[in-house]
Amino acid sequence: MNNNFVKGSWQEILDWAQNKSINMLHYCTGCGAIELPPTMTSRYDMSRFGIGPAATPRQADLLLVTGYLSTKTLRRLVYTYEQMQAPKFVVGFGSCTINGGMYWDSYNTIKQLDKYLPVEMYIAGCMPRPEAILDGLLKLKKMIADGEADGYQRYEENKDFYHQNQEAVLGEVQRTQ
Amino acid sequence: MRNEKDLLQLMNAHFNPLKLEIKREQNVSLEFEKEELIQALSFLKSHSYKHLSTISCVDWLEEGEFELVYHLFSYTDLINISLKTRIEREPGIFQTAKEIWPVAEFYERDIHDFFGVKFKGNDNLEELILENWQEIPPMRKDFDTRKFVNDKFEWRDYNGQKHTD
Amino acid sequence: MIDLIYKIGHFLLITIFTMALGLLFMGIARKIVARIQKRYGPPIYQPYLDVLKLFGKNAITHGFIFDFGAVMALGGVITTLFFIPLGSWQLYSMEGTVLLIIYLLAVASLGMAMGTVGSGNPQASVGISRALTQMLGYELPYLVILFALIFRYQTSSIWGLMQAQAGSFLNWNLFAYPLMALVAFVVLIGMMGKKPFDAMIAPSEIGSGPVVESGGKYLGMLLLQKSITIIIELALYVNLFLGGADNIFSFSFKMLIVWVLATMFGSLFPRFRIEDGVKFFWKWPLGIAILQALYIII
Repeated sequence: MNNNFVKGSWQEILDWAQNKSINMLHYCTGCGAIELPPTMTSRYDMSRFGIGPAATPRQADLLLVTGYLSTKTLRRLVYTYEQMQAPKFVVGFGSCTINGGMYWDSYNTIKQLDKYLPVEMYIAGCMPRPEAILDGLLKLKKMIADGEADGYQRYEENKDFYHQNQEAVLGEVQRTQ
Repeated sequence: MRNEKDLLQLMNAHFNPLKLEIKREQNVSLEFEKEELIQALSFLKSHSYKHLSTISCVDWLEEGEFELVYHLFSYTDLINISLKTRIEREPGIFQTAKEIWPVAEFYERDIHDFFGVKFKGNDNLEELILENWQEIPPMRKDFDTRKFVNDKFEWRDYNGQKHTD
Repeated sequence: MIDLIYKIGHFLLITIFTMALGLLFMGIARKIVARIQKRYGPPIYQPYLDVLKLFGKNAITHGFIFDFGAVMALGGVITTLFFIPLGSWQLYSMEGTVLLIIYLLAVASLGMAMGTVGSGNPQASVGISRALTQMLGYELPYLVILFALIFRYQTSSIWGLMQAQAGSFLNWNLFAYPLMALVAFVVLIGMMGKKPFDAMIAPSEIGSGPVVESGGKYLGMLLLQKSITIIIELALYVNLFLGGADNIFSFSFKMLIVWVLATMFGSLFPRFRIEDGVKFFWKWPLGIAILQALYIII
């Protein structure tokens, strides 16, 4: 009981610190990435919430998938996601990650991001304006502080499900550690 | 600095094109037999048409032919010229333009990726934009996109209402 | 025995105070840069939260040399901290501390270099080779200035140089040798890796240079090392040119003024290439420093 209490409250402190300082890897996959520079610069300043840019996957917490994903990009995105350190979060941006969006009948784009990577939340729009992005990210911060954002644990537990779907679309995927 | 009519007269004098057309100002289009096309290209390059903008391809399914279009531009005449030719759809082989413009290698690789046209003399015809593609080349008119997408991907389930089509 | 406990307590106090002050200065710098760019910035205490979050993340390691590099970098700067007077605190004071500090500052960079060798990422090697090349650039004018000051005051301990400026504030080296103070200010901006000279941390070019493979607690340790390095360099500048101070609070206040000026200056410029940076340091700053040194000696 003592052990769980200490561990529980230490986890709460870590969750609180995680929600106050998020490093974002801006992997600009599709056309939705054009709404990120206004969000990061002076007009709709994102750094006052503690969210800042990170340069490499090893230093990042948040992976922002902005827009459509062709199968060629999906392979690289899976490699990037597996190189990030836990705890890590994925946010889907725009309607192309929800149900295929404008490219629903294209032979080369994926239709649901949920089957290949564990997504915490989606931000709807084509593409969402900076105010919508900030609203979504604030809700994500609240989810992290409450301890509900456990996408990385879902990926570990349901690894077979995700790997199977990835290999159905991509063929063979190289896995390192 | 030539204008469009002089250009057409020049081409008529040296080759025998099948069809000449001035589409609008600064935009000219010619059609050739497939044996004459490469000579027409090198002729035009030596007459100041040094810029190859792109090579495109059209699939005429009912007539059983592919149509290749070469778009050139000249910085002194300021005229865009399009050279067209038709080849058989079945073997789909044509001569490469790599010796005249080295960049044509990439445009031909792109056309091979999406239409399946082979180019003699270009031995670097691997995939440029697609990756691990197993089916027939996707831009051909007999490739059924809807059927392919319905087989390979799954639609999102909105409370039991599945996606029709 | 009591003496030993007293010394250990003193050393812990200096280290923790310097880390806290360094992180606070980093937060103030982010706020100033944000206000210059006409936006609100993160709150002043943001670096504390960054370090706390980083120590809670998992991190993968690339072997023994990678771990040891991070520890050596942090250990090197803590060792350097003991020889600099901060106000009236100082652990050890003896002759020759000036040269000792120059030597120990290189240990930190070599520690980071060892870490990058262990990680095996080519972008990290490019970043650390740029950082060491740049160090070659700015060390030369700095050494000329230090030797001139040692010659003038005939003492080579920082405590002695600080005492020699006691009296009224017109005795400060800032007013006695203003050109040298100016050159030392430019060298300070180069040492801290601020804007014209920050090709070693270029985020978009080489993926943030030497720290490209560090995540989690390694990045936290490197952030702490950076905060202590800031305090060391500022403290050197204040001791050499602004006369030191009696107590820690006015010392911190003087460091804050120099830091604000350096930040404002450093947020206006684009980035030099490494060759341009080294050539710049060897042209004007070196020339002015040599002139001033000759004036002192002769």
